Amino acid sequence: MEKLLYNLESFLRRHITRGGFLRICLGAILVFIAENKFLKFAFAKSKKFPPRQKKDIKVDHDLISVSGKDPYQNTVKAIAALGGMSRFVNKGDVVVVKPNMAWDRNPAQAANTDPQVVAALVELCYKAGAKRVNVFDVPCNDARRVYVNSGIEKAAKEKGAKVFFADHWNVVKAQFPYKSPMENWPIIRDAVVCDTFINVPVLKDHSLAGLTLSMKNLMGVCSGTRGLIHMDIGRKLVDLTDYIKPELTVIDATRVLTKNGPSGGNLEDVINLDTVIASQDATLADYYAAQLVKRDPQTIPNIKEAVNRGYGITDPAKADILTVAL
Amino acid sequence: MRKLIILRKFFQLVFLGLFIYILWSTTYPLKGAISPQFIFKLDPLIFFFTALSRRVLMPGFIFSSVMVLLSAIFGRFFCGWICPLGTLIDAGGKILHRNQKMLQSDKQNKKLSSVKFYFLGVIFVFAVFGFQVAWVLDPIVMLARVISLNIIPGTTWALEKTFMVLIQRFDLYGPVYDFYRDLRGSLLGVDVHFFSNSLTTFIVFLLIILATAFMSRLWCRMLCPLGALYGLISKFAFLERQIVECKGCGHCRDDCRMGAIKEDEDYVKGECILCMDCVYSCPTRATKFSWRTGSKQMAPDVVESEKGITRSEFLFLLGGLSLFGFKQKQLPAQRPVIRPPGALKEEVFLDACVRCGNCMKVCVTNGLQPVMLESGWQGVWTPQLVPEVGYCEYNCTLCGNVCPTGAIARLDEEKKRRTKLGTAKIDRSICLAWAYNKECIVCEEHCPVADKAIKTQTSIHEGKVIHKPYVDESKCVGCGICQNKCPVRPKRAIRVLPAK
Repeated sequence: MEKLLYNLESFLRRHITRGGFLRICLGAILVFIAENKFLKFAFAKSKKFPPRQKKDIKVDHDLISVSGKDPYQNTVKAIAALGGMSRFVNKGDVVVVKPNMAWDRNPAQAANTDPQVVAALVELCYKAGAKRVNVFDVPCNDARRVYVNSGIEKAAKEKGAKVFFADHWNVVKAQFPYKSPMENWPIIRDAVVCDTFINVPVLKDHSLAGLTLSMKNLMGVCSGTRGLIHMDIGRKLVDLTDYIKPELTVIDATRVLTKNGPSGGNLEDVINLDTVIASQDATLADYYAAQLVKRDPQTIPNIKEAVNRGYGITDPAKADILTVAL
Repeated sequence: MRKLIILRKFFQLVFLGLFIYILWSTTYPLKGAISPQFIFKLDPLIFFFTALSRRVLMPGFIFSSVMVLLSAIFGRFFCGWICPLGTLIDAGGKILHRNQKMLQSDKQNKKLSSVKFYFLGVIFVFAVFGFQVAWVLDPIVMLARVISLNIIPGTTWALEKTFMVLIQRFDLYGPVYDFYRDLRGSLLGVDVHFFSNSLTTFIVFLLIILATAFMSRLWCRMLCPLGALYGLISKFAFLERQIVECKGCGHCRDDCRMGAIKEDEDYVKGECILCMDCVYSCPTRATKFSWRTGSKQMAPDVVESEKGITRSEFLFLLGGLSLFGFKQKQLPAQRPVIRPPGALKEEVFLDACVRCGNCMKVCVTNGLQPVMLESGWQGVWTPQLVPEVGYCEYNCTLCGNVCPTGAIARLDEEKKRRTKLGTAKIDRSICLAWAYNKECIVCEEHCPVADKAIKTQTSIHEGKVIHKPYVDESKCVGCGICQNKCPVRPKRAIRVLPAK
């Protein structure tokens, strides 16, 4: 040990002078500054984004509910009754179809949107002239397993959609014209930078929110610690819906998980309603869907908040609702 | 034309490439052409001694036996032609060592090369008494760990960051971003994984490579117990180096990377790795390798005037390795850490686990992390589930499927779902619902058990219905998703304690 220290000292004495030491320090500081500058240049902060602009669309009915054995045909019929997909999608549009694929469950367990509904929407978008249809979600379970086991990746890819994993670095910071608890929340960029946003939730039970509906499904475009959205969930979800402003909401009520949501897993908890609900208005769609499974819409925090705020069509009695049975 | 050397280098590169490919494809769909267990089943050191210490015959035994048989025919060809660590050491030696091989006398070489046999002896002694310590120095396992825990995560991280910077900085959200997404979906894997404490394996690996600066293949000559095992077997090999009309110029001795050639140009069979250098360094082409003919008198070994290693040194070695071998007399009733699903009983698990890192590499959520000293000296590099990093995916059975020794049992999905890793406990002093009357129950939402191992009781607080979670311990499987998703920081309000 003593020998080592002696060697070290003699090495330092031989090789390091005062000037040399100062030069080393100066060099280190310069390297630090340069590195700092480079990192600031390279890792651009995610930009702030104002809310999405919603297209002004005239539809034939406020809400369509189609019941029938085949979810694919139900979806096609529902969109046709609204006036056709060409009202929502122009030629050359970039469309986001946002299904609920959050859980590593198979379609029969009804925790995710039915793949056929997603496939039908993707096909309709391409028929209406869309340039590109993006299908993605930020799942709660491992993304690869969810994409495969929900069956949505395969079904959507067959119709030509781009199915990808959301990048958590590719986000924008939400900005609101009013004071909101969702201010600066990181939101996946693809959900905001698109021409048409189609929200495709599945109707199912949820332990906190009562039901998972279209507004709850929009949590799937958020990054960050999403558990915190659960605090004051009603207000945050309505703000989020107001930020994304989906052009079209298609609620898949083919199979409905009635208990132990949102992840489910028990086949006994699943009932078949074989219904697809399509609407331009998120609040109305949620309200109608809650009534469909005989829940009081006023107990769902986000519907209650939307009604209180007067966001969207809040009175289904006055809305133009068309029910079709195939 | 140095045909044989070119052929050897070709084989070395192919096997190194295969090795990396197999480990790289050890990930979610598990669709690689070769099973990731296979490389470890070819390693007789860990396979024989694990089997010996556990007193069971493990499936895949046949592959190691084939390797032993081949060595008995060809000699220590594995080290020179196949071993991926050997390839990297050769490459490192090319860069670091230049042409200054440290020549040593026969005695010094003998002393140097005998060290590894003592290591092998110690491993054998421990295995006889029921402890498996082969993993400490096995080269294949060590390299697999470095590649799985350092090199692959490092490469994917660097690629991801490069793309991220390029795309964000220059607004390349068009085809470049699409290309990156395709890459991410196929080659890179979805998430970049990190492994705690993995720098230590990398430093050990680096030291092994850097040691070649002092002497070519220092690790293989001196320390590698797998090399020692093959060396012992290859003493009976049929393939031999033969010299006709040697002029005694000593070129072959200068060139030998293993120091296997003696001062009289004869060679130590157990040290030769058949690299074929001496065939081409001989100016008169007097050296060749051919089958042993008849009952040739074996050349006498170097006369041992000195002991290779003193008794005290051997005891020191035994003591050093016993650090990894001996377990606490009585293991506590609980496991010290959360083990992967299907892990054998703790004391058996520690012997069966060869620390290859396959389970950690394959874990989809990155939840399986290497243990340093949390489970004692005998548990270094074994896997543990760290729910803060990643939880155990409910329907996933991958870790059991890639374990080469069955330390983690292969479970079918149905059984895996019922396998208990631990039990979740709620810390009511910091839980948002219990302590602050806030709406949360993220834990209950994520609980994958079909009828929920986390239940809630409701109470009214200031006109709001607050759900307060509690754990049904008979249903909880301890997958840790609740701990992973709990929004409370820095300590989670729900934590999983390891099962028995």
